[in-house]
Amino acid sequence: MNAILDLRPIVPAAIVAVTGVVVLLAQAFTPKGRSAPSSLLSLVGLGGALVSVWLLGSGRAVGAVLAGALAADGLAIFLQAVILAVAIVTVLLSPGYLRANGLERGEYYALLLFSVVGMMGLVSSLELVSMFVALEIMSVALYGMAGLDRARPESQESALKYFVTGAFASAFFLYGVALVYGVSGSTSLERVSRALGVTSPDGFPLAVLGAAFLLVGFGFKIASVPFHMWAPDVYEGAPTTVTAFMSAGVKAAAFGALLRVFDYGLAGLASHWQPLVAVLAIVTMVLGNLAALAQRNLKRLLAYSSIAHAGYLMAALVASPFLAGEAILFYLVAYAAVNLGAFGVIAALAKDGREPATLADLAGLAERRPALSAALALFLVSLTGIPVTAGFVGKFYLFGAAVASGWVVLALVGVLTSVVSAYYYLRIVVAMYMEEPVGEDRWARVSPSAALALALSAGVTLLFGLWPAPVLRLARLASRSLF
Amino acid sequence: MTPPLAQILSPLILLPVAGAVVIALTRREAVLLHKVLGLLVSLATFVLSLRLVSRFSDIAGIQFEERYAWIPAWGISYHVGIDGLSLWLVILTTFLTPLCLLGSWSSIDKRVREFVVFMLLLEAGMIGVFVALDLFLFYVFWEAMLVPMYFLIGIWGHERRIYAAVKFFLYTFAGSVLMLVAFLVLYKASGIRSFDIPALVAAPVDPALQTWLFLACAIAFAIKVPMWPFHTWLPDAHVEAPTAGSVILAGVLLKMGGYGFLRLAIPLFPDAAVKLAPLVGVLAVIGIVYGALVSLVQPDLKKLVAYSSVSHLGFVMLGIAALTTTGVTGAVYQMLNHGISTGALFFLVGMLYDRRHTRQISEFGGLRSAMPWFFAVFLLISLSSIAVPGTNGFVGEFLILIGAWSFSPALVVVASLGVILAAAYVLWMVKRVFYGELSNPKNQGLPDLSAREATVLLPLVVLAIVMGIASPIFTRRIEPAADALVRQVRDATRPAPAAVAPPAKPVPGPGDGR
Repeated sequence: MNAILDLRPIVPAAIVAVTGVVVLLAQAFTPKGRSAPSSLLSLVGLGGALVSVWLLGSGRAVGAVLAGALAADGLAIFLQAVILAVAIVTVLLSPGYLRANGLERGEYYALLLFSVVGMMGLVSSLELVSMFVALEIMSVALYGMAGLDRARPESQESALKYFVTGAFASAFFLYGVALVYGVSGSTSLERVSRALGVTSPDGFPLAVLGAAFLLVGFGFKIASVPFHMWAPDVYEGAPTTVTAFMSAGVKAAAFGALLRVFDYGLAGLASHWQPLVAVLAIVTMVLGNLAALAQRNLKRLLAYSSIAHAGYLMAALVASPFLAGEAILFYLVAYAAVNLGAFGVIAALAKDGREPATLADLAGLAERRPALSAALALFLVSLTGIPVTAGFVGKFYLFGAAVASGWVVLALVGVLTSVVSAYYYLRIVVAMYMEEPVGEDRWARVSPSAALALALSAGVTLLFGLWPAPVLRLARLASRSLF
Repeated sequence: MTPPLAQILSPLILLPVAGAVVIALTRREAVLLHKVLGLLVSLATFVLSLRLVSRFSDIAGIQFEERYAWIPAWGISYHVGIDGLSLWLVILTTFLTPLCLLGSWSSIDKRVREFVVFMLLLEAGMIGVFVALDLFLFYVFWEAMLVPMYFLIGIWGHERRIYAAVKFFLYTFAGSVLMLVAFLVLYKASGIRSFDIPALVAAPVDPALQTWLFLACAIAFAIKVPMWPFHTWLPDAHVEAPTAGSVILAGVLLKMGGYGFLRLAIPLFPDAAVKLAPLVGVLAVIGIVYGALVSLVQPDLKKLVAYSSVSHLGFVMLGIAALTTTGVTGAVYQMLNHGISTGALFFLVGMLYDRRHTRQISEFGGLRSAMPWFFAVFLLISLSSIAVPGTNGFVGEFLILIGAWSFSPALVVVASLGVILAAAYVLWMVKRVFYGELSNPKNQGLPDLSAREATVLLPLVVLAIVMGIASPIFTRRIEPAADALVRQVRDATRPAPAAVAPPAKPVPGPGDGR
């Protein structure tokens, strides 16, 4: 096959995009009063994409295509699989939640699928402009999803906030791209890397500034302090399944791109950006965890926890590229499973437009929903980083990578702030297990598809906690493709 | 390596886990089934663990070893095995768990299924800590065990249970995470790309770094022991925990601190251990006296027993700090004694609480006439707790004091003061609870020991006496390992003549992936 026309690397994303269009059309052609099988169509499309990613991964390596803009290298394949799995679990969680909130509209699934396309592009871009385009595809779809619940002002506020800060982030990102282009003469990461890899007497001050701008742009997307202010409001206001998807998917996609840009494209400037990232990591871990202590609202609490976890991930980013890659990739898997699960439990309980919002709403849940409570407790234990969960292995790897690269201080801050986090995660467990239930049971029975989604998340959390070696091997292979 | 079919340690960990899973899957209402199944599983675990004793040979090395690659990229393996230091602690765990389940038969009446599940998971975690020979594996069990204990205190505890449970969790978690960072630094510094404990012991790191790593681990273990001044979580956790929780906490969990010093902190960081031994010794003795003095003034029975633990474990730490064969043997033996006698005391206090729903000493008095059998057992266990000759406590404290003499006569003298104080607070408590007039009308007609309660207490009483008069059965198996540890530390810290120093041999880690 002609190398220029070899489009295999974009087949998975194309399948998802086509599915998105089909979902939209199916919605349009469904007679009034009937609902289109949007979730089923989405599942089929996502499943097909996952299979094609699998085939790409197991087949012969494919080089960059579309003038070097996109590639299906190890990193792309690994993270695309993660993103697709996240999307599948989200779709499984969605029908029950949408029904409970009167949001059963086809565009939800279409937006979800388009956003997945953006995420997949983000992790497979080898070039900064296509990376920017992918970032925008992902973000614009997410703005729409956050504001889907038009009847609730919080949802609208969430969408607007996300949009405004997102636009800011995009501007920073573009500015960074421009500066890097100015110095290196290219937006291709390979050429940027080559241009910045040589030693220069003045140390590329403009490129360093560009790197800083790119870091700000990514900082918004991954919600690292001080670019995190939008996260609690958006997480709280958006429909819970959207929050679940955002927290797991965006983090995986953005960190994938971050790894590629910084550990590959800007690797020559590592001595400049590493201290910066280290400081941001420390501030993010400390502030994220301390702010979470004060939260009463579950979704806000998990939002701050997600900020804190961005800090843990950044702590590993300063490690040697090799260790950082595999540690971050594994952690993204663990984190995605756990976060989907935690938000998923809240979403699964939604009934008649209400869902557990505060700790008090979960009081005594273990008496009434033993299995669901056990699952949430497992997710929280994993977020805290206690064995035998994937969260523990993930943190072990993140901090192990930091220590192995000589950043003991990052590991120390990381573990000590984890102790702080134990307090607020435990409060949820306390509410579920150690307090008496109040009033009658107001929450929904968990739908079969949601139960499947939660079982998958819990299974992954336990399995990768007990037997992480296979995933770690894949993560290692994937991170090798960076160099 | 033990061939797969002859393995005992892995089945010992998996049996309670499997039992817990099965019980978790049964119907919530089948309370009797949960109790019976839990008891049977824990008894089976105990019987299985006895094979360790019968097949144990009195040599210093690791026995019943099993090893499988787990995370090859980091040189992490599932490596378990026991020696004289851990053998009896494993047995203590499997011995106390069925007693706890039997002892809680009627006092735990809500969410019985979860209770049994957590007890069995806890048992598996505790066994795991004592048999792990890989730092990663050790840490996994060490932390994983926190979760069931947290639930045990938080769900089935008394009035301030939530506060106590969270405090317990945060305290121990805070100590543990520092240890984790120490492990990671050690991994990097040792350069052997392995978390295997014996391999790391054979490749000691720079003495200056050792001090930091030792301190990080020592804090984790000192919190668990608990050593003064890290003990403040203990009275809360003990008092608020249900009886079974207190028994396991005092009987087994606290031992992990001392065991951690013996298995990890001292052999891994011998130079630092020798350097900091005086500090450990002084804190231990402060703990002995402080615990005893605070016990003296407790109006609450359970708190009294809890603080007495601080004092007793001070002795254990003194024996460990001494780093002599006799001292270490005594320390391990005293850990077993404390498990037996303080475990029994918590059972007894729990039985009183079941009857009267109070633990205030002033509420009692003259119980001797109402509950003669209860009194007899209580007195005997009290005597064992204050180390009267003929009981188990005497052997342990005696060995420790002898073993520590060469370390520091001054500390031994002060520690002996603790022995006297122990007699004072225990006997005074016995006097106030059991002697005198049965003046409080609520205490009239209190039932004596039931058959079930007697069944729980009998093995403990028998052991307290057997371990007092036939101690060589136990010490014979502890001593070689204690001696090996002491020797290893001595050899590692002796300034070796450079010419004869054996080259640090790289230990073949399982599939070093890079």
